Amino acid sequence: MRILIVEDDELVADALKRGLTAAGFVVDRVGSAEQAEAAFVAEEFDVAVVDIGLPGVDGLTLVRRMRHAGNALPVLILTARDGLADRVDALDLGADDYLVKPFELPEVAARCRALVRRTRSATSAELRIGLLRLDLAERTASLGDSPLEITRREWALLECLALDAGRVVRKEKLLRAIGGWDEELTPNAVEVYVSRLRAKLGDAVGIRTVRGLGYRLDDPAS
Amino acid sequence: MTQLPDPGRPASIARRLLTLLLVPLGGLLLLALLFDYLVVVGPLRTAFDRQLADAAVVIAAQVRSEAAGEPTLELPPLVARQLAEEQGRLPVYALRDAGGRWLAGDVRLPAAAAGGAGSATYATQLLPSLGQVRIVWYRWATGGRTLTVAVGQLTGVRDAAARPLVTATLTLDVLQLVAVIALVLIGVRRGLRPLLEFRDELAARSARDLRPLDAQRVPEEMHALVVSLNALLERARATAAAQQKFVADAAHQLRTPLAGMQAQLELLERDAAGLAVGGQVSAVRDGLKRLAHTAHQLLTLARAEGSGTLDRDFVAVDLPALVAAAVSAHLDSALSRRIDLGAETVPVTIHGVEWLLRELLANLVDNAVRYTPDGGVVTVRCGVLPGGGFLEVEDDGPGIPPAERPLVMQRFHRVPGTAGEGSGLGLAIVSDIVTLHGARFELGAVVGRGTRARVEFRG
Repeated sequence: MRILIVEDDELVADALKRGLTAAGFVVDRVGSAEQAEAAFVAEEFDVAVVDIGLPGVDGLTLVRRMRHAGNALPVLILTARDGLADRVDALDLGADDYLVKPFELPEVAARCRALVRRTRSATSAELRIGLLRLDLAERTASLGDSPLEITRREWALLECLALDAGRVVRKEKLLRAIGGWDEELTPNAVEVYVSRLRAKLGDAVGIRTVRGLGYRLDDPAS
Repeated sequence: MTQLPDPGRPASIARRLLTLLLVPLGGLLLLALLFDYLVVVGPLRTAFDRQLADAAVVIAAQVRSEAAGEPTLELPPLVARQLAEEQGRLPVYALRDAGGRWLAGDVRLPAAAAGGAGSATYATQLLPSLGQVRIVWYRWATGGRTLTVAVGQLTGVRDAAARPLVTATLTLDVLQLVAVIALVLIGVRRGLRPLLEFRDELAARSARDLRPLDAQRVPEEMHALVVSLNALLERARATAAAQQKFVADAAHQLRTPLAGMQAQLELLERDAAGLAVGGQVSAVRDGLKRLAHTAHQLLTLARAEGSGTLDRDFVAVDLPALVAAAVSAHLDSALSRRIDLGAETVPVTIHGVEWLLRELLANLVDNAVRYTPDGGVVTVRCGVLPGGGFLEVEDDGPGIPPAERPLVMQRFHRVPGTAGEGSGLGLAIVSDIVTLHGARFELGAVVGRGTRARVEFRG
């Protein structure tokens, strides 16, 4: 996966480049919005990490220009400001996610992976979380090389968790995913299907219970 | 913003106006009342007296006085009737000679004091068996003698005749008095209405509303005041904006190098794992993390402080979503210490500043996770209250000793003997955000049974 880092601060950019390279990404780095736009023309990227506080044209303007030009590349915004207004602005302008400095490198890597995963699930059929592989078109799953035998409802649950791997998915959302519109299911149903899934996944992929909220599929890379 | 009257404060304008207008006006009207009474009653009395004197002359004309013999007085019935009509009823009269000797008529009328011929003297006397009587004595010379005719009229009769006029005049005066008082009261109240409306408008305004007041809608006298107020509001707005800009700039200048150093140290720590310097690198990284945390807390504190938050920042905030976000964000640090971090939520929405409430809950959850021993339980709750809702974070940690409870809200205060890397700013931030929301914060901490931090939002 190829990442473009748009960050003017040497120290931050260098650490991001080395950290994300170590996490398995191919990383390019530019220091301004103008250079970024030139890079978008020259190369194909899977995700861009954009700092808001760029010299000259700022990060938010860059995102707006990208979207205006029809560039749908997923963007993770980095910012030094934490007010909600900036977050709303960034997401309104077409950024896909938002991270406040200072950050932890594994968190940046996980967010990038999640962005790529979400855009890919919309365009291609495969989703990978560690050893787990989901074929979204065929609605089949495999663990390493061996296919998983799972039911329609277990699949729906797993897909819902995998699309948001590393984040807590609310129980209500999972219930809707497995229930459809016309079926009445008790919240216990989610627990039942989760425990069945856990038995099938073994230790390879963890589904964590978050008491009172829902479940989280651990992203082993983070 | 209703305030009790302050003993040192000048009286209200309405009271001053009423006092300044009503006291002199009342005095003037009372004087007018007295004056009217005198103006009406004086001439009336003179007129009555003149009538009485006319009656005396008429009666005197009926006296027959020859040189020889006593003078006699006999009223022909026609004259008597005419007098009775003029006087209300037939007046009592008496004829005496110059020496005061009674000659004819009513003996109860007394003799006059001395006086020249052709003169009339008046007096009001209380006569036994007659009552209060107004008497005129008319002296004249006839047939070589001086005679006196006394004519008396009961004052009751005079008063009865005068009463309608006096009553009408005084009634008019009193009506005028009442009308003036009523007009002053209404006038003062209506005149002050713009001032009172302005007061109510100010009172209804929130302290965070820094929009200028409408200077066109206030009367001329208040215009200068409103213009000054607007200048002050403008200055407050500029100060708030400058402070926000400063905080934003400071955030950028602090966080960017911190982010760089922290990320670099993270890589360095990985590279140095197993080497002799590994421990030092980890220690520096922990220190930097603490510094970054404190910087974040200070920036939050600076932004949370009143002046920067405006009414438009207050929106409907979904508390379960806030709880879910806080639990998700702290899940990994809780899991790393086998702490069971969970939630209990019911659907509830309150009116607040979303990012500040996020910070509030983050600080409470952070504290709970930080001070709960490994393997403990932390629960984040939200719920419904009449007219609002609450957020609650409960842990089964060591609790806060009673003596420490009032101190933990202070900035940079840390409970002695506690582990962890807290900045001592968490609860100070919570306290500021609670105040900004007009909420109520309760720290129910029982030693040995954990801590329950609860924020109640009402109205």
